[in-house]
Order: sequence, then structure tokens, then C-alpha cells
Amino acid sequence: MFYFLRKIGNSLLLIIGVTLLSFVLMVWFGPDRTFGLLGKNPSQEQIEQVRRQLGYDRPFAERYLDYLGALATLELGYSDSSGEAVRAVLARTIPVTLALVLPGFLLGNLLAIVLAMLAAWHRGRALDRVITGLSVAGMSLSFLVIIIGLQALLCTPYGVNLFPVRGWQVDGFGSYFYYAFVPTLSLVIVSLGYNTRFYRAVFVEEAQREHIRTARAFGASPLTIMTRHVLANSMAPLITRVLFSIPLVIVSGSLLIETYFGIPGVGRTTFEAITNGDQPVLKAVVALTAVSFVVVQLLADFLYRLFDPRIEQAVADGGGAAV
Amino acid sequence: MSASVAAAPAARAFRGIGRDRWGLLGLVIVTIFFLLAAGVWLGWLGQDWARAVGGRWEPAGTEHWFGTNLLGQDIFQRAVYSARTAFEIGLVVALATTVLGAAFGALAGWRAFSWVDDVALWVKGVLDSVPFYLFVAALAYAMQGRAFAMHIAMILTFWTPTARLLRAEVMRLKAQDFVKSAQAIGLPAWRIVLRHVLPNTVHILLVQGTLVFVAAIKTEVILSFLGLGVQDGVSWGLMLAESTQEVIAGHFGNFLAASGFLFTFLLGLNLLSDALQDALDPTMTRRRGRMIKAPA
Amino acid sequence: MRCFQPAALILCLALASCAEDAQSPEQIGRTSAYRHAMDGAPTNLDPAQAAIIYANFFAVNLYDTLYRYKYLARPYALEPNLAEELPQVSSDGLIYTIRIKPGVHFVDDPAFENGRGRMVVAEDFVYSIKRHFDPEVRSLGAWLWDGRIVGMAEWRDNGANYDEEVPGLRALDERTIQIQLIQPFPQLTHTLAQGFSAIVPREAVEHYGPELSLHPVGSGPYRLASFDSARAVLLRNPHFRAEPFSLAREGYDPERQASLGLEALEGKVPPFTNRIEVEFITEDAARWSAFVAGEVDFIKAPVTQFDTLLASRAPPRLKPRFEQRYHMRADLESGLVLTHFNMSDPRIGSHPDSDQDARNHALRCAIVKAFDWQKRNEIFYYGLGRVFPGIIPPATPEFNPNLDNAYVTRDVDEARNLLILNGWTEGNLPVLEYGLVAGVTERQMFEQFRSFMSDIGYPAEKIQPLTFATYGDYARAYHNREVMLITTSWTMDYPDAENTVQLFYGPNASPGSNYSNYDNEEYNRLYRASALMQPSQTRTAMYNNMNRLVMEDCAAISGISRTLILLWDRDVAMLPDRSFVGGYFFRFVNVGAETGE
Repeated sequence: MFYFLRKIGNSLLLIIGVTLLSFVLMVWFGPDRTFGLLGKNPSQEQIEQVRRQLGYDRPFAERYLDYLGALATLELGYSDSSGEAVRAVLARTIPVTLALVLPGFLLGNLLAIVLAMLAAWHRGRALDRVITGLSVAGMSLSFLVIIIGLQALLCTPYGVNLFPVRGWQVDGFGSYFYYAFVPTLSLVIVSLGYNTRFYRAVFVEEAQREHIRTARAFGASPLTIMTRHVLANSMAPLITRVLFSIPLVIVSGSLLIETYFGIPGVGRTTFEAITNGDQPVLKAVVALTAVSFVVVQLLADFLYRLFDPRIEQAVADGGGAAV
Repeated sequence: MSASVAAAPAARAFRGIGRDRWGLLGLVIVTIFFLLAAGVWLGWLGQDWARAVGGRWEPAGTEHWFGTNLLGQDIFQRAVYSARTAFEIGLVVALATTVLGAAFGALAGWRAFSWVDDVALWVKGVLDSVPFYLFVAALAYAMQGRAFAMHIAMILTFWTPTARLLRAEVMRLKAQDFVKSAQAIGLPAWRIVLRHVLPNTVHILLVQGTLVFVAAIKTEVILSFLGLGVQDGVSWGLMLAESTQEVIAGHFGNFLAASGFLFTFLLGLNLLSDALQDALDPTMTRRRGRMIKAPA
Repeated sequence: MRCFQPAALILCLALASCAEDAQSPEQIGRTSAYRHAMDGAPTNLDPAQAAIIYANFFAVNLYDTLYRYKYLARPYALEPNLAEELPQVSSDGLIYTIRIKPGVHFVDDPAFENGRGRMVVAEDFVYSIKRHFDPEVRSLGAWLWDGRIVGMAEWRDNGANYDEEVPGLRALDERTIQIQLIQPFPQLTHTLAQGFSAIVPREAVEHYGPELSLHPVGSGPYRLASFDSARAVLLRNPHFRAEPFSLAREGYDPERQASLGLEALEGKVPPFTNRIEVEFITEDAARWSAFVAGEVDFIKAPVTQFDTLLASRAPPRLKPRFEQRYHMRADLESGLVLTHFNMSDPRIGSHPDSDQDARNHALRCAIVKAFDWQKRNEIFYYGLGRVFPGIIPPATPEFNPNLDNAYVTRDVDEARNLLILNGWTEGNLPVLEYGLVAGVTERQMFEQFRSFMSDIGYPAEKIQPLTFATYGDYARAYHNREVMLITTSWTMDYPDAENTVQLFYGPNASPGSNYSNYDNEEYNRLYRASALMQPSQTRTAMYNNMNRLVMEDCAAISGISRTLILLWDRDVAMLPDRSFVGGYFFRFVNVGAETGE
């Protein structure tokens, strides 16, 4: 009980730390929006006026407390660039990002688990070497190269030209498949190498345990062993990894895809907000990511203890090592 | 005693790689690229990267192996010059991250569970919670596009896994006999850490260093594409950014050259890194060493 | 479709069948919507924020402006829009009286009582212009009328109370507007054709507040159905005033416009299309792909495709296979691209010491001489740009085609001489800081500039890029006089050379639009005198004089006007444009007509 209170206290401290950091970077040192808000030929007075309106002349502490206050009361306000309510912006863009990123994320992990099991089972033999080799190759491919290459191959006349170069007009499964196929494929390819490697290592370690060797000696089928014993016992690191990748994939991973494929999701919106200094949107996104990251950490922690209460020491390690 | 302890991992490393065919290949590839970069540094190679030596978008041929770009610059020369850019970024970030990570990690590990440790963990947690590209973009603004904004952003985010690993290892080592005896003799803490504990963590630092190197190069590619990376000069990321406009018009030189060089170099680094891991500490499972800051 | 091996073949077939089902509706059959593609996106549709061309397009279609430009006349000519006729101007040029058409209504909207759009009255125009001077609104367009309307500055300083009257901007009755100027302003009517002057009802502003951009309530030919960062959808406004289309009134030129299929529209009532879908596709590659795949009907062709598209350059003509499917227009832009020197920077501009000043002058002229416009044009504009000396671009009526081109003709020897004669050596040359916004093309232009300079002996290390992540950042820097060489494009707000000539007027220096902070007394005197004059030969002569002064002082490396290649489907009958004085053509677009050869 006390442990969880302490954890929650830590989480609050984390949130404060994140908001402070993001405030310093994005607000205090952020882009000066004055000239973006003035027309051609502004006068010195107009400039002063706008600066006063934007609050640029107020002291650090005052602005930071305002920032925290607005976050705490969820008073998200209106976007500085388009005037749209931030709540509406998030409600519109987050589902798009999720729809875009989740299939690739899930597929990437599932496929990796299957490949890793195959590799771990046939450890040292040809299949394992092929899978490991491909994983290393996969890890050496830049995301950008994958995206440009796939787009050229699948969406232009130089390749098969089956899918759109950009866009997101989804109104049914057919169009969803049409627009999400290439981005999903890119996500799968980019993450497959890393994931396979990771899961293989986990499975290999697990498979070397005494009880597995015993099961093999008893003649249990490979499938049973891999699923019932190895996989089940590896759930802890597996879940931790999956959980930890979620916030990263959703905001950072989607940024490149959304920018390149012209998809109106939260990654791109946030990036544009940074470059345009649209603080209301930034506040909301940063708070959201911080909170979700902290929640994920708490959850991972909890699940870890659930699966193996003995690993307290490893948990105290900071957890993130497994990522 | 500390000297031989430090020498052991290095010797083991080389012996291990010698036996591992793939590791050897990795080492060869990395060495080739290092020679390329050195050649550029010394002014022997890739010096014509900025000059317009040919016409616009000349196809690949004997004079220009990958053809020319829009301005008539030789793509192959640019790709070779970019090896130097990649090495510079990789080395700077990897070294700084190692130092920072080792310092923080050792501090936190030595003073485990004290307030120092808590603060260090808090700092690490905060930095981990901010989405990477947003952090870089914001930092680029805060630094007003100065040349090192990208390096600093990478260093500030990549040091955390190293620090975590170091912390765990230092905690483990602290409980060992040789440290206890050193403490009994009355050696000051900083001396024990510097001369006895840290040398025993070299294997971790080395492997992490190569992983950070890889991550730095991959990140630079994406940052340059977004306009936040290399500002003057040329890098594979900038070449790829150029290529996005050209591919649609049927000119693949930039794309093929940049992605080819990049893939080969990263493959070599990854193979080398794996071989090092296997050689230095086979018991350390692959999962602990992964860099998961930016997705690819 | 190319598939290589059996496994891939099967995969391809499977994908193909899926993809066919999944193809977007646009590709299955011709819809009656007009699908427009813009090469950028507006962020805010509030007319007070319509500073960029994309936003301007929407402002003029969702709202009414007093004036617009004739659809087909080139050069552009003013035409009454909401106004009944061109303004009555008093003899001293200070009082403008304008009557608006009767019976025009705003669209139905919850902002109004009973949700029904009320009639547009003169007071609405007065309110809309007042808004620009309300500090809370932070208008981007106030500069158009700043310091020109009697009593406006006082109104603003007195708390911007909308119920208070401004003496120089009044509604004499429901349909009559009277504007009183402090000084003659010959371009006033042009400003009333801009998106900034669009008429916004007070009820909507008060009802929607900051979300006005998402809920435009206007009296224009279209209303907004949806708007996000990827696209916008416009629907015909059923209450738009019925004004039959007249080819003659719109300035139809049968010789040059016969193939567009416009004759069939004579007498019909615009807007001709019920639905317009505007896609915002900034990436060249994506825009091109969308166009050739038939997903959009119109694009501004990316320069990288000119090779593929054009069979000849002078005059530009499409290759036969494109000629069959598309119409093309090669439009010279209303604007120019140039590089300013920051004259307030003593390293390259004016210097208190007259000797150093002369040396700086020589340095600037050497740089101007070393710049290879022909190569710049060739590489980045496919040779289709129009290079011209000075600051008065070809698209203006005041342009002088007979000017000596020496200013924009490269002469490496002369440049070198200038440097040598004035004691400039590799050692003492200043470091040039070249400002640019981070982007592939901009960076390539910088590298090209650097190579131009290396030909006259300027060491490469002394030419450095000063990159900015966004245009806003760049603007802030040069408005603060922090950038030495400012390369930028200037799009004209109205077709009158006054708009470019004011770029070098001393008092307009930073933070104004005189980015080079040029301050020449004679120039300033000429400007002040010419500003009050209507277009005339005398005024043009003065402009030519001013142009000469700028070139003598080598204040800017100038300039080039780009040629835009606009492509549209032969199914669509229209004459599109992509300029600040444009956007009005949406109401005349007709989809589905058969157009001739």
C-alpha cells in the first residue's frame, strides 16, 4: 500500500518535471509569435501591444504557474493558429493517429513474437540464422528510407501504383485499408527487426531454463512448450516492452508517417504546433503524453509484480532498462 | 589489479570478434567507413561535394557513379563526404553520452536509494517522458538553430539507458569483495569508483556506445529530413530529403546512394555491436542493451 | 503493374483486387464536384487573418467584398462585387462614396435571430474594417488602411468601442458607405477587393469568438461545409444574389480563350458548381500524383515535373499526351523573388565613414554582378522565369521592357575588378550571412549562391547559411535587422507598382516591409510625391527613376518573376488563377462540360 502511495508521489513529481521542462523549452524559449501575428509594416507600438497580449513581458514564475493552473483545470483553450478549441483538435486527431498506428504496431509485435519463437526454437540452426540476419538488416534500415522506398514502389508509376501517395479520407473499411496499407507496412518493417531480436533473446533465455529442458525430455510438442511455458513465462518483459513503446510510437512514430503521407493526426499537429509556437495545443499534448507515460509506467510496474513478485530489484532498476 | 581488469574486456573483445565471422565483417565495414571519413577530414576524398561539376540530373555513368543532383553536384562525392558528417555526429554523441551516462549512473548506483539516487532517477524519468522529436524541435528553437542544437538534443536524451545500466552494474559491483576491501583500507569513494569500479563497467559502456552511435546516425537522418538537423554541409539525411522531390520525377541517384551508404554503414555497426556484446559478456542478454529512444 | 516472381505475383493480384474495391469514389466515375488542389494550407479563415494566398481564396469565396476583379480580363481590372458600381470619388481624392446592392443576405446560421441570415447593410462593411483596428483581433490586414482613414487611429486608442462612430468610415444609410481619407490613396479600391476587406456580420463574431475561422458566416457564393488541415469542402450558397454571367462584362477575349468552353455559360447564373472540394497538398510529389491519378482537377504543376510536361518552353506547350487530357496556362506571377542587402548592417550596407561606405557599395555591386540569374532561372524555374532589372516586375502596368539588362547580366570580370579596385581581398572580405528557411530547395539555392560567389574569389567559408525552421522565425529575425542577406519573395497585393516600390521607402524600414532598410532621401521624396498620384505617365516616370536609384545603390539582387504552370482537366470549363488578386473564379467553374480543342 505504502509502496503504491510512494509510486503515485513519484509520478506526480515526474509530471511536474515534465511540465517544467516543456514549459521552459516550448514556452519560455519557444518561437516568438509576435511577427506571425502582425501584418506587413507593423509599427513599434503594435509590436509592443502584441507582445503584451501574448504575455511575453511577464516573469517566469508567473507564466509557469499560469501554465500549470491551466493544465490542472483542463482549461485547454483555443489553438493560436486556427482558433479551433484544443479539445476538438485532440478529439479529431488522436483517433486518426490511433487508427493509423495501431495495426502496424500490433502486427509488428505479433509477427515478431512468432518469428522470435521460431528462431529461439531452432536456435543455432539455419532458420534462426536467417531470421537473425534479417533482423539485423531490418535494424539497419532507416525509417525514412523505408517510407520513401515503399512509396516509390507502391504508390507511383515507377512501381505498382496501387495505393495513394497521401491522404486520409476514410469512410469505411475499404478506404481505411486503401489509405492505411502503406503506412502500416512501413511501421511493421521498421519495427520488425528490433522486436524480433528482443523477443528472441527473451525466449532464448527462457528456453534454457531447467523446466523447459525437462518438458522437452518428456516429449512435449514444440508448440506446447513454446506457448504454454516459454511465452507464458516471458510475459513480464514482453508486456513491459509493449507498454513502454506505446506512447513513443503514438506520438513520435506517427510524426514521420503523418508528415510524409499527409495524414491529419496528432503527431503532425503537435510538430506543427511546435514550429508555429501554438502553445495551447502544445500544453495539451505534452500534458497528455506525460500523464500517459506515467500511467504506462505505473501499469507496467503493477503487471511486473503481478507476474513475478520476486523481481523487485529489477523493478527498482528503473524499469526502462527492459526497453 | 584495475589495469588487468580493464585489459581483459578489450582482449576478450578482439578474440571474440576474430572468431565470429559476422563480427569481422562488421569490423571491416566500419573500418572502411572510418577510412572514408578520415580521407575526407584529411582533404583527400569527397572535396568536390559542393561544386557543380556536371549538368542537372545526369544519370549514373563512368564520370559520376551515381549521377548528379539538381545543382549538378556529384552524388557519389556527396555520399562520401556524408560519411564524415555521420562519423562526427556519431562520435560526439556517443562519447558525450558515455561520459554523461557513466557519471550519472555511477553516482546514482554508488549512492543507491539515497536522495541523490532519487533525483537522478527523477531526471531520467522526466527526460524519458518527453516525446523525442518534440524535444528536439523545441530544443532547436530554444537554441535558435545553432549548429549544436541537434547534438545536444541527442545527448540529452540518449544518455538515460547508459545511466540506468551503469547504475545497476555499479550497485552490483559495490556489493562485491574487492570494493569492500578497498573501502576497508580507507580509500575515498571517488577513487574507488574511478579506478576500480568504472573500469569494470567498460564492457557495458563500449556496447552502449556503439548502440548510441547507431541511434545518433539514424536520428540525424530523420532530423535533417525535418529540417532540424545538419544545416551546412551534406549528410545522408539531407541527401534523402533532396531525393523525396526527385524520386517522383524519376531520378533515383540521391536515394540509392544515400540509402545504400547508410544501410551498409549501419549494418556494419550493428554487426560489430553484436559481436562486441557476445565477446564481452555473453551472459548479458540482448534486451538490456537496446536503445529505444526514437523509433528507428 | 509490374510483379516479378510467383509469390509476389499472387500477392500483387490479391492486393489489386482489394485495392480496386477500396478505391476512392472519385476514380470510379466523374462526379459533379470541382476538386481543387492548393499547394499550401490556410490555418485561419477569419478575413482579418487572411494574409496568405490560401486564406485569401477562402475569404473571397465565403464572404463578400465590395469589389473583385473581372474573371477573364488580363491584365486584371476591377469589377463591382457587392458594390453597385465603382466608387464615386471627390475631386480632391479624399472622399469615396459607395452604394451596395440591395437584397443581399448572409447565410442562415444559429448566430442570427431565428437562425435566418439577415440582409447585408452598409454598417456591416464599417464594422468589418473597424475590426482590423481592434487590438483584441490582432488583424494581419490593418496595415492596408493604417494611417489613412480619418479618425480610425483615435477610435483604436479610445478603447475600440464598436458603437462609437469613426468620422472617416460611415454608413450614410442602409446601402451607402462613405470613406474619408487623410491623404489621397489611389489604391484604395484595390484594397477593397482583397480578402481582408471581406464583410463579416457582428453577430457571428460575437457568437463564435475565436472559432470564427471554423464557422464562416458570409454572403459569398459558397458556404463552408468542413475544414481541417487536409481539406475543405465548400457548398453552393443558395441565397447568393443572382447575377447572370456575361462574357463581355468579364472581359472575354475570344482569340485566346475560345478553347476553354466558356461560351455555353453565357446568361447562366453563377455559382455553376454545387460543391467544391479543396485539397491542401503541400508536397509536390503528392500533388502531382494526385493530379495524374485523377483525384483532383487542378494543380499548380511542380517545377520538378516541367521536364515531363512540356514539349517546348518558349512559348510553353504541353506534350501531346498531356495536351489531350489537360488545359494549361503559363501565368507570370504577380510578384518577384529577390535578395535584399541589409543596408543598416555596417559590414555590407551604409557606413558612417564615407570611404568605407564606398567600399561597401562596391562590394554589393560586385556581388550583384557575380550572381548568375540565367543559371538560377534555369535550375530552379526551368528557365521559365522572367528575369528583369530592378524592383518593378513584369506583371505590373508600369513595367518597362526596354530597360537595360546590365544589372542582371553576370559579369565575373567586372565583379573581380570592383573588388580589387576597392581593396577587397580574401582576407578582409566580410562573412556573408545568408538567411533562409530550412528546406531542400532553399538550401540548394544557398549552395548555388555560394558557388556563384566562389567564382569571383569569395572563399566558401565566408559565406554561411543562417537557417530558420519556419518562415515566422525568419521574419522575426529580419524584422529585427539580424539578417545580412535576406532572400524572399514578395507577392503583390494589388496590380500596381506602388506595392513593390514601397519596399524601399525609408520610413517603411524594419519592422516594416522595407527589409533592406534602404534609406535614400531622393527616393523617399519621389515616393511621397508619387504616392498621391493616380496611375499616369508622370508617375511611371518617377517609378522608373526610383528603380534606377535602387540599382545604382545596389541595394538588392533583383529580380525574377516566376512562371506558374497551371493544369486542369479538360472536363472543367474555367480560367483559374493562383494569385492574390484571384480566387474569384470558383463561382464560374463549370464541371462536366465538353470543351473544344
